[in-house]
Amino acid sequence: MKFDVIIIGAGSAGMRVASALQKAGRKTAVIGLGRSINEVEVRPYERLGGTLLIGDSVREGLFEGNRLTAVHTVNLGAYPLKADRFVIATGKFLGGGIVADMDRVYEPLFGLDVAYDEDRGGWFDASFGAPQRFLRFGVRTDAQSRPSMGGRTVENLYACGELLEGISAVDGREEIEKSADKVLAILTQADHAEA
Amino acid sequence: MQEMLKEYDVIIIGGGITGAGTARDCALRGLKVLLIERRDIADGATGRNHGLLHSGARYAVKDGESARECIVENRILRRIAPHCIEDTQGLFITLPEDEETGYGLDYQKKFIEACRTAGIEAEAMDPREAIRWEPSVNPRLIGAVKVPDGSVDPFKLCAANVLDARLHGADILTYTEVLSLVKEDDTVRGVRVRDSRTGETAEYHARVTVNAAGIWGQAIVQMAGARIAMFPAKGALLVFAHRVNNVVINRCRKSADGDILVPGDTVTVIGTTSTKIPFEACDDLHVTPDEVELLLREGSQLCPALASTRILRAYAGVRPLVASDDDPTGRSISRGIVCLDHATRDGIEGFVTITGGKLMTYRLMAEMATDTVCAKLGVAVPCATATTPLPRTIERDFPAGSPDGMLVCECENVTLGEIRSAVARFDIHSLADLRRRTRIGMGTCQGTYCIRKAAAALAEAQGRPADAERLAREYLDERWKGMMPVGWGDTLREMEFMQKVFKAGAPSTFK
Repeated sequence: MKFDVIIIGAGSAGMRVASALQKAGRKTAVIGLGRSINEVEVRPYERLGGTLLIGDSVREGLFEGNRLTAVHTVNLGAYPLKADRFVIATGKFLGGGIVADMDRVYEPLFGLDVAYDEDRGGWFDASFGAPQRFLRFGVRTDAQSRPSMGGRTVENLYACGELLEGISAVDGREEIEKSADKVLAILTQADHAEA
Repeated sequence: MQEMLKEYDVIIIGGGITGAGTARDCALRGLKVLLIERRDIADGATGRNHGLLHSGARYAVKDGESARECIVENRILRRIAPHCIEDTQGLFITLPEDEETGYGLDYQKKFIEACRTAGIEAEAMDPREAIRWEPSVNPRLIGAVKVPDGSVDPFKLCAANVLDARLHGADILTYTEVLSLVKEDDTVRGVRVRDSRTGETAEYHARVTVNAAGIWGQAIVQMAGARIAMFPAKGALLVFAHRVNNVVINRCRKSADGDILVPGDTVTVIGTTSTKIPFEACDDLHVTPDEVELLLREGSQLCPALASTRILRAYAGVRPLVASDDDPTGRSISRGIVCLDHATRDGIEGFVTITGGKLMTYRLMAEMATDTVCAKLGVAVPCATATTPLPRTIERDFPAGSPDGMLVCECENVTLGEIRSAVARFDIHSLADLRRRTRIGMGTCQGTYCIRKAAAALAEAQGRPADAERLAREYLDERWKGMMPVGWGDTLREMEFMQKVFKAGAPSTFK
């Protein structure tokens, strides 16, 4: 099955992008465990005809050059889901979008480049109430919200939400929504440009 | 500044387990007792160890005397404090690589013999049988020995001693710091203290003053005009987010870092390390990345599941090691009990120091200190602490459905009634104090779900509802400190979750 846009991550950022695109007539799918959303929140998206693969997760991406062409999910086995463009909004540490080991921080799905402090000394402020630097870590993107792998931009992948460097839910929903709207604007413009 | 003068038979400095035990023993023998603690009871090394009820097996080969002391006290504590103890039993395991370092099955034989000589029941167990008994144990083990280890709640044990001392007439002053000793010529007459919250000073007099201040006791000895060479040795430990093992797991070899895994209540604790630190560092201990790595590496040898289990937090305590008196270099360090009558040692009357030793032998230490005090006072009442049961620290039985039966902390099953009972019986000023009495917030969520409820309940029980926010903040800072050294993997996910619960969304104190 081929989609216009596949959104990886069924959190607030991913659902926001997916609903808007679906409403604008795109054929979209959302893949995500859906731990941070409830049934009521996803209902409008389903009514719009979106394909919701809740409880599933991407296990592998298929790349051609600098483009992501399809993903394999846990539940769909060998059956790939293809799309022209992909959005990744898998969250921060809690959501599993990025993972911290004792000696590194990484993006577990595609190995996207992550911005973080190598020196662990500065990750935390000893005062719980103070801003915490580790909540700023995340995937680094270019001006078009596109992340990179080993320094090379993935041309048709866009990142938003808490997964991004510098954004955390602790600072409020507005930042997350802004990042989703930016991706939305870029994707809509890109379609116009191609049309 | 308000001046007060009160007369006691004995003043005990230090509200750790040693001071609490000494206060109880003195009170049971009919003495008029004052116990002084600069912070909360069980705040120092007493509350910062494994919580292991040693069988003594660990010391059997090297130090038969310590081993014998341990097993005797082990049996006594099971009798007098069953509510503070869990009879988990313990395993000493041998791994294949131990053969190469000389701690193989030959050593195991020697170990079992040494245990038996010390009076410790030690039984070799077939490795397959050991795995059935404790499924989390490293399945590569080639030998196992069963010993009567257990786990002990040091907070509860200390509180029970304090409570019993008070029930027998002792006065207890927490958050009261000793400024100086009152001396007349070569005799210690009492203490000058300051209430750390109000700043008020006072003077208390007694015929004997006992220094049971742990590592901080070196400074107390100096106040008396004598000297003692103590060596602060930091021990770091890690708490895991659930009870991984049900039986204490030890390594059957020479004592080393990270070779004891103790199940305690809902969690499991691995420890410990041993690092000399300067005295200045004793009040602000930090666990280093090296210590965490070492504990994880060694712990995974005892129980492989630890490598993938969420770490709740890291903490550290300071052992008060004492150099032998005849060795000014401090090389000859004793881990045994040190009871000093400063009259015979330094010509200073009315002053006794009890130190060294360990949680396991606190009752014996208290007995030795109290015997010394009684000899000075001419009191001939024998010690009764080995046979007199300790009281329960707080009421626990509140019917579900009643207001007092409302659960506040769901990890550790703490009810509103227990909080009220703790506030009524003990001097409680913070959620950390309340935690030491009730275990509130010590479980798998570290207070994330309950601490606002707990703060409100405590503030209300104290009649100061406006304090709730401050109490919660202080508590979170304290928990945060323990999580920072282990902030990666699932612990970091939990940290993000905590930040979100308290900062994201609704209006919050932290914005």
